[in-house]
Amino acid sequence: MRSYELMIIHRPEMAETDVAGQVAEVEKAIAESGSVISRDLWGKRRFAYEIDHLHEGHYSVVSFEAELELVDRLDRALHLSDAVMRHKIVRRGAA
Amino acid sequence: MPPVKRAPRRRRPTAADSRRRRKVCQFCDEKAEPIDYKNVAMLRKFVSDKGKIRTRRVTGNCGIHQRAVARAVKNAREMALLPYVQTRA
Repeated sequence: MRSYELMIIHRPEMAETDVAGQVAEVEKAIAESGSVISRDLWGKRRFAYEIDHLHEGHYSVVSFEAELELVDRLDRALHLSDAVMRHKIVRRGAA
Repeated sequence: MPPVKRAPRRRRPTAADSRRRRKVCQFCDEKAEPIDYKNVAMLRKFVSDKGKIRTRRVTGNCGIHQRAVARAVKNAREMALLPYVQTRA
């Protein structure tokens, strides 16, 4: 098990509650074979530059522990998700 | 005639040298906050107003930490937390 940190940017037109629901679903997927350590919903934040003609998005950060296999699956699922604009998974404390 | 051995010529320290302080890497301090790509306010100090990553000469970071800062800035850029280019508004 390794510690990871996931950041997701959801589309700006989504409601705050929908974003929370999406993040909860991601956490459920993680909890199947790993464990969620913390969750932080940043809310709407302006982008430093335009992405697909949009200027803001919903940011959220989830810390978790999991095996590589789960991380790979999660990464692929987030790539395919239409609700997610961008995401990034990094190892925690690897600074 | 045998070659004359000369001591290597050394620059005489100037008044400017005594005023200049040697910079030390601020992250090598154990109390320093960790380098994190989410900490935009901290990373701002390591990019120019055009958004370019500042050199070690300017930041005074050691090699390990300069690379960590550069990686953090690049991660932050991917997540639109920092700009790739800052055009003057």
